[in-house]
Amino acid sequence: MRSLQLLVLSLFALPPVAGLLLLILPKVLGRIVTILSVVALSAISVYLFASFDKPFQILIPEYSDKVVMIADVLLLVYFAFIAIKRKSVLVGLLTIGQAIALGYLIKLLGHHEGGIHAQFYIDRLSLFMFLLINIVSGIIATYSLQYIDEEDCSPYRKKFFMFTMLWFIGVMNLVVSADNLEYFFLFFELTTLASYIFISFRKDNESVNNALRALWMNQIGGIAILGAMIYSLSTIGYGTLSFQTLVKAAPTVGLLFPLALLAVAALIKGAQMPFSSWLLGAMVAPTPVSALLHSSTMVKIAPFIILRLAPAIKGTSLSLVIIALTGFVFLAAAISALAQDNFKRILAFSTVSLLGLMILMAAIGTDTAIVTCLILILFHGISKCMLFLNAGVLEKKFHLKSALDMDRLAESGPFTAFVVCIGFISLMLPPFGAFVGKWFSIEILGSTLRQTRGLTAIVMLAIACGGAVLSLLYFKVMGLLISRSGEKDKVTFETTHPLYNVNLILLLALILAGVVSLPFLLTGYFGPVASDVLGSAVAVDVQSNYSISIGTMNLPVIPMILAFLILPVSLFISLFIRFRKVDRVKEYTCGEKIDYKFNSFYFDTEFLLPYFKAVGLVFFALIIILTVI
Amino acid sequence: MQSIIILSVLALLAPLVGGLVYGIERKVKARMQNRIGPNILQPFYDFFKLADKRLVMVHSTHAFLGVMHFISIWVAVAVLIFGGDLILVIFLHLLSTALLIMGGFSTRSIFSHLGANRTAISILAYEPVLIIMAVSIYAVNGSFQISSIINSDPLLYKMPLTFIALLLILPIKLKKSPFDVAEAHQEIAGGAEIEYSGIFFEAIYTAKWLDYIFVYALVFLFGGSNYLLGAGLVVGTFIYINALDNSTARVDYRQMLKFSYFVALPVAFINLLITLFN
Repeated sequence: MRSLQLLVLSLFALPPVAGLLLLILPKVLGRIVTILSVVALSAISVYLFASFDKPFQILIPEYSDKVVMIADVLLLVYFAFIAIKRKSVLVGLLTIGQAIALGYLIKLLGHHEGGIHAQFYIDRLSLFMFLLINIVSGIIATYSLQYIDEEDCSPYRKKFFMFTMLWFIGVMNLVVSADNLEYFFLFFELTTLASYIFISFRKDNESVNNALRALWMNQIGGIAILGAMIYSLSTIGYGTLSFQTLVKAAPTVGLLFPLALLAVAALIKGAQMPFSSWLLGAMVAPTPVSALLHSSTMVKIAPFIILRLAPAIKGTSLSLVIIALTGFVFLAAAISALAQDNFKRILAFSTVSLLGLMILMAAIGTDTAIVTCLILILFHGISKCMLFLNAGVLEKKFHLKSALDMDRLAESGPFTAFVVCIGFISLMLPPFGAFVGKWFSIEILGSTLRQTRGLTAIVMLAIACGGAVLSLLYFKVMGLLISRSGEKDKVTFETTHPLYNVNLILLLALILAGVVSLPFLLTGYFGPVASDVLGSAVAVDVQSNYSISIGTMNLPVIPMILAFLILPVSLFISLFIRFRKVDRVKEYTCGEKIDYKFNSFYFDTEFLLPYFKAVGLVFFALIIILTVI
Repeated sequence: MQSIIILSVLALLAPLVGGLVYGIERKVKARMQNRIGPNILQPFYDFFKLADKRLVMVHSTHAFLGVMHFISIWVAVAVLIFGGDLILVIFLHLLSTALLIMGGFSTRSIFSHLGANRTAISILAYEPVLIIMAVSIYAVNGSFQISSIINSDPLLYKMPLTFIALLLILPIKLKKSPFDVAEAHQEIAGGAEIEYSGIFFEAIYTAKWLDYIFVYALVFLFGGSNYLLGAGLVVGTFIYINALDNSTARVDYRQMLKFSYFVALPVAFINLLITLFN
């Protein structure tokens, strides 16, 4: 037990220490340190998951409470400094609001001395997040070693970027293991700070503005957490500030208000409408930042919090509003994405959309829904990471930002085109993990229809339409990538830097391995994690007719294997196969000889965005109003 | 064991049956237009003729994706025949259409691109209705498994509106008038399939036969355990589709989308709500 605790502590400490080393070491040594440390982090998180048997707490010295308090204050001082430096009224006001709330909280806490000193609670959900955070972010970190090197800025800024990235990974590890809300608040705010630093990295006007937007939006989340703490401290029955006690006490106390505030914080972090613009604004930062925020870290805090709260909010009016909101966002973000041409913006909107689906599943909270949520979190993390890292390659190597310019990428960069295709396809078609998540979502909604009737039926409709819209969106990009003329037959692979290549191949291997091992993952990985989330056993069994049952649901293995043989394999072969003894013809053009610019459909859905945001705001208001009443 | 053999034979013979359906369709359509029409086995004669043609293609990616379109639709039909999960079957079918769309996009041909674009739009039009249909079946029947749907009471009486919604979107799925925008011979010369020829077109051509099987099998499900009713529905749908194809003119894709979202989808949804509140 003691050794496991030490290992978890090393997950917290190793990234910032490596980051500090990076700041003082020369470039090559720094690279070696980074790569070694991310390998160590990944190994530790795998080992932790393998040797875990029951949830445990981490004992820490008593004075660390004071340290957290001081760090909170320092952080607010820094936010105030930003507000003054950038002349942002909004950030200033919110910082003042946070300061007042924090002051009141400290006063309240004064009467609650002598609490427990096990502020971290590690269960399988934390370990699940450790795996995602450390492995995927590790890949992003090694990738960005090269990416940031090609960036046009001073060597010190480059080192500073890597430093931020590493300590941010450490903070993410802290976020998913904190049990005390006070600690959680600090780490939540630190991730907000990280997003500010990342987004404003390029220092131009747009970057700074978007960074400020990310800051104030997430500060609202911070205030919500503070409010949750103050409220639960002053409510009889809650008393302590811990996720575990809060969730356990909620059914008996019956007041959901603090949980609603925590959910609001989660939904803002998860960029649900109308707070989606902070994540979309993050596009101005260097691409690895987008990869980091969208895939394995930042936004995944949202489903994580809802998963933590799931046992308490399941079946309540709070969960119904969250279901309605996220179902709406799933469709609305997919429709808004159709109007986008910028590759990264397309990816960003699809992240917002799929995050909605994840939170939706967590809010439903049945055993199968939790498993589905976990499947989506993991596989969406890997797929999106791969797509964003590819966006970086497209920018640096092919100088492409808009999806419309990607015409004929299959000729100039067949490997990149292939990886992008697999990335998109993994989000929508069988047999990939993210697809399995989508498919299960529909079945789960179908099976919960009876209990909630009207609402779920409408959400169901939104999911059915949103899924189709997302497929159309992905085709829009893939269609241009894959286009190729018959004249150029030789496959010449693009040469990219090995740090790019190796990481992309790693991610590709992870996705494909995920498909092949999905049956084993369900029984040995997702099932146990879901049991820990719910606090009761989730039955995942292998049936005699080659299917795996999760609660009431079945995953037939044979069709999935067939789909695996068809799709990824055939896509791979089709891009690289060359038929020898077949004659060639030119394309048919009805006898006309004109130059034709290949393009995809343009959908004018931009004008809908303000309406979507307004509806989202109504839902947010509903969350608060319904739980107060 | 015996049933597995029967099902396997059925799945293997699916393209042949589909070819026959296509042959009958051409005959019926011709008779509706007061023509004699081709022999019922004409699709198979065409099949052999295509197999005999010179091997010609635009490039290998394009040709190979066409072949995979055929194989993947066969898999979708096989999973359907073996009584798999309805939602999964719908998605497997989406997978096969995806391969056709990718094939259409992979050449640098205007008509092929237009056709692929329009096929993608068609998915947007019919997919939600199919999913709502599957969910309604679940609401009535308590299972997504086709093997259990086929052994339950006839679905038609409990969800007539869903069946109507299915009839409304079937022309989109089968690329029949008035919703044949994805193929539109007079406009875009066949769409995504135009650049295929010879043995590679054969794949696309046979995939269409399998598409018939897929669609009519969905219709057959509405009969439940009453196979006679199922067969009746299939025949009725067959005549309806051909009569509609003969008597209407093509609309453009926007009108098609609007029709699907403002007519077919609400019809299916109302039935879902009625089932839930009963």
